[in-house]
Amino acid sequence: MDSDGRRDRWDWDSPHCRAQLDEVFFRKNDYIQTGSPEHREFWAFFDRFQRFKTKKDMCGSVGARGRNGDRDEERKVKGKTAKVDLGLPVEYDARYRINVSVCTRDIEERVGKSEHRSRQRSSGPGDQEISDCRLALLHFLDFNQRQSFGKLAKLRREQKNLPIFQYQDKIVELVRRHPVVVVAGDTGCGKSTQVPQYLLSAGFDYIACTQPRRIACISLAKRVSFESLNQYGSKVGFQIRFETTRTIATKLLFLTEGLLLRQIQQDRTLAQYQVVIVDEVHERHLHCDFLLGVLRTLVAERPDLRLILMSATINIKLFSHYFSSAPVLQVPGRLFPIQVIYKPIPPEEQASRSEKLDPRPYLRILQGIDQRYPPEERGDLLLFLSGVAEISTIQEACQVYATHTQRWIVLPLHSTLSLAQQDKVFDISPPGVRKCIISTNIAETSVTIDGVRFVVDSGKVKEMSFDPKAKMQRLQEFWISRASSEQRKGRAGRTGPGVCYRLYAESDYDAFAPYPVPEIHRVALDSLILQMKSMGLGDPMSFVFIDPPPAASIQTAVTYLKEQGALDSHGELTSIGTLLSQLPVDVVIGKMLVLGSLFNLVEPVLTVAAALSVQSPFLRSSQNNPDCATARQPLHSNQGDPFTLLNTFNAWVEVKGERGGGSRKWCRRRGLEEQRLYEMVNLRRQFRDLLKSHSLLESEKNAASDGDRGQRRMRLTERKKLHQLKRDHEQQEGSKRKVLKLEEGHDGDMSSGSDTEETSRRKKDKDGPGQNMDIQEVKFKLRHNISELQEAVTVSQDMSSRHQALLKLLLCRGLYPQLAVPDEHNTNRKDSDQVFHTKNKQGVVIHPTSVFASDPEVLLVPDDGVSELGSDRRDSSKHQLLAFVTLLETNKPYLSNCVRVPALQALLLVANSMDSNADCARLVMDGWLEVELRQPEEASKLLSTALSLRGEWERLLLAQLGQSTEMRSAAQGVSRKTMEKLSDRLVRFLLYTEVSYSLRRLTAFQTQNLYIGPQPESELFQGKPPDLNSLFPGAEVKPHPIKGGLRVTSFFTYNCLADSKDLYSECLRTFWSCPNCDLYMPLTPLERMQHEASCRPAGEQQQTGEEPAEGKPGPSSVSSLSRVYHCDVCNKDLTLTSTEILKHKRQHK
Amino acid sequence: MEQTRQKTFTCQLCGLTSPYSYYGQKPPNTRAIVLLEECYVTKDPFSPDKEKFLVLGSTCSLCSMCVCVGSDCSLFYTKRFCMQCVNKHLDQFPHQIQTELAKKKERSKAAVS
Ligand SMILES: [Zn+2]
Ligand SMILES: [Zn+2]
Repeated sequence: MDSDGRRDRWDWDSPHCRAQLDEVFFRKNDYIQTGSPEHREFWAFFDRFQRFKTKKDMCGSVGARGRNGDRDEERKVKGKTAKVDLGLPVEYDARYRINVSVCTRDIEERVGKSEHRSRQRSSGPGDQEISDCRLALLHFLDFNQRQSFGKLAKLRREQKNLPIFQYQDKIVELVRRHPVVVVAGDTGCGKSTQVPQYLLSAGFDYIACTQPRRIACISLAKRVSFESLNQYGSKVGFQIRFETTRTIATKLLFLTEGLLLRQIQQDRTLAQYQVVIVDEVHERHLHCDFLLGVLRTLVAERPDLRLILMSATINIKLFSHYFSSAPVLQVPGRLFPIQVIYKPIPPEEQASRSEKLDPRPYLRILQGIDQRYPPEERGDLLLFLSGVAEISTIQEACQVYATHTQRWIVLPLHSTLSLAQQDKVFDISPPGVRKCIISTNIAETSVTIDGVRFVVDSGKVKEMSFDPKAKMQRLQEFWISRASSEQRKGRAGRTGPGVCYRLYAESDYDAFAPYPVPEIHRVALDSLILQMKSMGLGDPMSFVFIDPPPAASIQTAVTYLKEQGALDSHGELTSIGTLLSQLPVDVVIGKMLVLGSLFNLVEPVLTVAAALSVQSPFLRSSQNNPDCATARQPLHSNQGDPFTLLNTFNAWVEVKGERGGGSRKWCRRRGLEEQRLYEMVNLRRQFRDLLKSHSLLESEKNAASDGDRGQRRMRLTERKKLHQLKRDHEQQEGSKRKVLKLEEGHDGDMSSGSDTEETSRRKKDKDGPGQNMDIQEVKFKLRHNISELQEAVTVSQDMSSRHQALLKLLLCRGLYPQLAVPDEHNTNRKDSDQVFHTKNKQGVVIHPTSVFASDPEVLLVPDDGVSELGSDRRDSSKHQLLAFVTLLETNKPYLSNCVRVPALQALLLVANSMDSNADCARLVMDGWLEVELRQPEEASKLLSTALSLRGEWERLLLAQLGQSTEMRSAAQGVSRKTMEKLSDRLVRFLLYTEVSYSLRRLTAFQTQNLYIGPQPESELFQGKPPDLNSLFPGAEVKPHPIKGGLRVTSFFTYNCLADSKDLYSECLRTFWSCPNCDLYMPLTPLERMQHEASCRPAGEQQQTGEEPAEGKPGPSSVSSLSRVYHCDVCNKDLTLTSTEILKHKRQHK
Repeated sequence: MEQTRQKTFTCQLCGLTSPYSYYGQKPPNTRAIVLLEECYVTKDPFSPDKEKFLVLGSTCSLCSMCVCVGSDCSLFYTKRFCMQCVNKHLDQFPHQIQTELAKKKERSKAAVS
């Protein structure tokens, strides 16, 4: 129909011509739009389609256009003679197989008209071109439909093939009929993904499904929403610490166990859920055991709540019994047969405790595999070892073998590796080469690697245990349990039949414990007990745990919480304890946050608290790399590790502000795992929000939100773009796995530190443009306002020494009682042999990653400041203590994350128990540190300053907390001025106290005979009845029932130390003149302190000019410090301040 | 607003089930595109673009059985036919389709044995 001439002018390859067709088919509102990925795909498809058609035409297929009508008639007639006529066109056309049509008549007409007008010179599309394009489009749409449907059908087939599939109805029925159901099935049976879907489709709404690991929450939510074809809907979501996809429409929520517990704290009956699924209960994590206990009570209260426990087929009876014999549904797993070979290590190759692991047994297995199995038969090896040191030993040996044979790629796997390195285990090895993955027990449950055919099980695991006596965590090596052993073995049979080599005897296996020790028996229970208290669960001792923890461990936690001030002496929550129970962090970190909110130190405290709550960003593997060490140097602070972390974070934020994505390289140079910094910035934000929600922090300044409209719009467009990038990333995520190179194993350790320009460029080329997008950077930009962050960071960057001192004090008070004292002989020891002591554990050392390990000198008492008084008394004003975050024993007990503080000042301000002798020159702190001052006057002066500082600090803290709990509308609980005054005084006390003293740890003998003990009053006061109340206004001063002496405040007991002299012996009185008033008289230290407590410099005086005339009752506005005093000599009732009482009594002498 | 009860499509031949969001010939946001039969349609979960649709199935034009669009269950040739009806009336289909089906049968037989 078209002239050949015109056809010649139409060029399908010309972008111009295609653009004209785009105008017809791919307009702005069309199903496929010009410029979209589908649009590009279409034209690529078009080319293929055209080629296919030409080929077909050449093969002689007859064009059927236009002639169908006649044939149709013919057919219909024929049909009638048969049974049923389907009315099908006889002439076959692939077009008839497509159930879609595209109507573009409106446009065609318009185009047609314009073409008509300018027929002569037009090169626009004719009917033929349009119909060609339409046909291609129809086939394209059909092709896409077929592809997607194919994927859907495959998905459904896979679901159907899961072992759990045939139990779908049974599960739903059980859940309908019973409040608690146990579903037990081994890895691969599909319970985690399918059970929630079965319940959803059975009509259950509001389902919570807990997971022990955050990563599982994300991946399960993704998988399930995908399987339920709801990938972009919001019915399936997850909620973890920093991220949630939950909306009001969410019907199935994957969340961590800890988070569900937090929700119970807010919503005691969990009214928001109809069904709660607790997955992986067999792993017996602390939170999970506790959660089960809480749910057990809840089930009784809420008969409508459905609870499903999902477990591997381990110890199922335990769970069923705990929930009054709940029905159990056992689903067979889907494992291929696995051959077990016991290869116990011969005695001569068994390493003794101090030695390195002997790699020979492991190498023999690699060799054996190479001999027995042809390299074409794929299948990787997974080797379980107990710890990082063991892994690197074996890795080294295997690498030598691998380099020699060229048949292995050796990859380590443990949690302290960078995430990029961890991720390598999922990459594919080239043909003829096997991966040899050497892992801790992380690959037992947390990480699942497909394609493993061989498992080597050392039978060992390193597990954390808690020593309540030393208040210390301990990482020890144990034999694994039979359950773990089976779990490890199972890793060989996920994708095909496998082999499991056990490096122990079958008799060993039989002697293993059946199950691993549940976490609740191994860890400190502080946070757990705190949470129980805040949930009003009563006495932790009587709570019905599935497997109760030892009573001693609960007791230790209660004592610790009392020491921390979170519980009062009756074991009830204090106001700070209430707040701490709501912070999802360690008690010590929570305390820091609360303390930081009081002073102007929120920003640095937020950073430090966040930094101490995540794994260290400093990669261990880079520590020995000299380039990294040099690059890290400027980040180090010899004030302590928290300061190094603070510097690092601040520097990183600065780099992010200047260079955005360039921060990745910056981190690599310094051997930093950037992921941890991202975690820190998220956590920091969460802490800030928490403090705000408890009114401990002023709400956002509104300056940042404004800005002119243009800027806002720009930010909005940027956000849109970022969201798109994030979506794109999620799309392609997991779709490509890299193929490993043979040399991959060697550079493992080195590459993380020194990434040269060259390698990063090569990487870019390989991935192609656009692929190099840093998803973390995108998420970071979406979540945080970099300029705000930079502002916050600047605050803590150029910290004055005053701020630094105050921050150290806050950290120390937060970390208290985690304090360590340097051994007195450290000066004479090598740098590497510096020894420290905590109250409960002697002879601990500083972890090699700590700044004090490389710079221990700053902890030594400088020689010039020391005056030797006999052999073991070293007086100095420069004694220091270490406050530390963790005490962990591996091969030695190590302190990590330490900060140094001036000893005496810190102790006076934070110690829970201070005991003195009569002249206060000898002080015993917390029953283990003895301080002796040479000048008693200085001692009592210091003490009284400390008492007053602590009193004021406590008052402000309570005001701040009280304000937050009572939700008063006052802008700030504590006025800025009062707060600044206090911080000023604290700083002065910390920095300018120049008193020489000795610091000593008490010996066991000394601690036994520390106190004089209770005395009869007559003896104590030598018959002279003292007016105790007058000595300490406001405080209830009474004899201490155990220690003896006088209990002045909750933390200070006067004159109770065994060598003490009597309270009122006149010889202790010395003449003293008060710097603030004209008082000059002989006073005991106690009287002097008491006077100082109530006598302030003129400026500070609270009741100025209100000195009531002697003997006369004061005016109606009597200050709180004065009270009625009955003088026996005058026989009169007088309203006097304590000082005045003293003065008055002196008159009668 | 989402309806509380989800509408579910089930293929009566292979049992494939899936929630669907639309039934008819003109799924939302398809502009110039029209379906040539009344279909059960859902959002394409495999397309990065959430506006894309996916046809799950429809009813057989002869026996009204609800079938999915999978090639084992149905065939579209100007109309939808379930595989049972196709086999019953195989002779009326063009030979291209007949050979194609014969080939497929062969292949599945080979796979089974
Ligand atoms: Zn079907
Ligand atoms: Zn039919």
